[in-house]
Amino acid sequence: MSLDTEFIGPFLNATVQVLKVQANIESKTGKVYIKKPEDKSFGDVSGVISIDSEAFTGTVMVSFSEKTFLNIMSAMLGETYEVMNQDLLDGAGEITNMIFGQAKVVLNERGYGIKMAIPTVVSGKNHTLSTNGKGPIFVIPFESQAGPFVVHICV
Amino acid sequence: MFDPKSRILIIDDMSTMRKIITKILKELAFTDFTEAVDGKDAWEKVQTANPPFDLIISDWNMPNMSGLEFLKLVRADVKFKKTPFLLVTAEAEQHQVADAIQSGVDQYVVKPFNKESLKAKLESAHKKCSTRKAV
Repeated sequence: MSLDTEFIGPFLNATVQVLKVQANIESKTGKVYIKKPEDKSFGDVSGVISIDSEAFTGTVMVSFSEKTFLNIMSAMLGETYEVMNQDLLDGAGEITNMIFGQAKVVLNERGYGIKMAIPTVVSGKNHTLSTNGKGPIFVIPFESQAGPFVVHICV
Repeated sequence: MFDPKSRILIIDDMSTMRKIITKILKELAFTDFTEAVDGKDAWEKVQTANPPFDLIISDWNMPNMSGLEFLKLVRADVKFKKTPFLLVTAEAEQHQVADAIQSGVDQYVVKPFNKESLKAKLESAHKKCSTRKAV
């Protein structure tokens, strides 16, 4: 399956909406590009979720720098976090889950047949991530009041 | 609205979401919370809680036992079948909402949500449950 605006758009809209409603943070999309092998990975914490349908598989990853992630978690939970801790990490999974869930509703109305999935979290300085999509990895950079972060989509 | 002293069971496999729900409920003046990490853990807590819980707020998509499976267990037991039950989900597709209603959910909350939207769902669930008790 090829990625196009019809498929990526709902993830962009969901990302903006999730941060606005759940964390009261405004964000906007930068220019989408295809990840090259030599491109450095972005982020210290990523939420990862598999896209699984009868017709295709893929992966959605939302990656944050530690600083951006702590700012978002502080806004979501109403407390100030300045240091990463294990308890906070699943917040990356929850954010990814909400983005995926919102986008999935829109995409399934268009007949994509995406199934429910449970997110996982990967952390570590500039970690790398494997995907289960066959195509290129699309990188969608975001600027937000909490700092920059990136959404990766691969199918 | 539910009594602020209501004993509330909050179920989610993500600690972040349990914290978010607890934070908002505190802002709405609730004080008595118990947490569970999945439907299986919740079912054990429901069976042993004394006094019983006054309100259950459960995530849908969890490992081991989903929120929907847990809801069906709760509704099948005469002791808990009238306990107010809210399902929280990031994936509110029509067929899922229909499943939840058929299984006896009182309200479903779509993630992301804020204080105002959760409050509205709680008020709606309370109204529905009050009507049910009166019948």
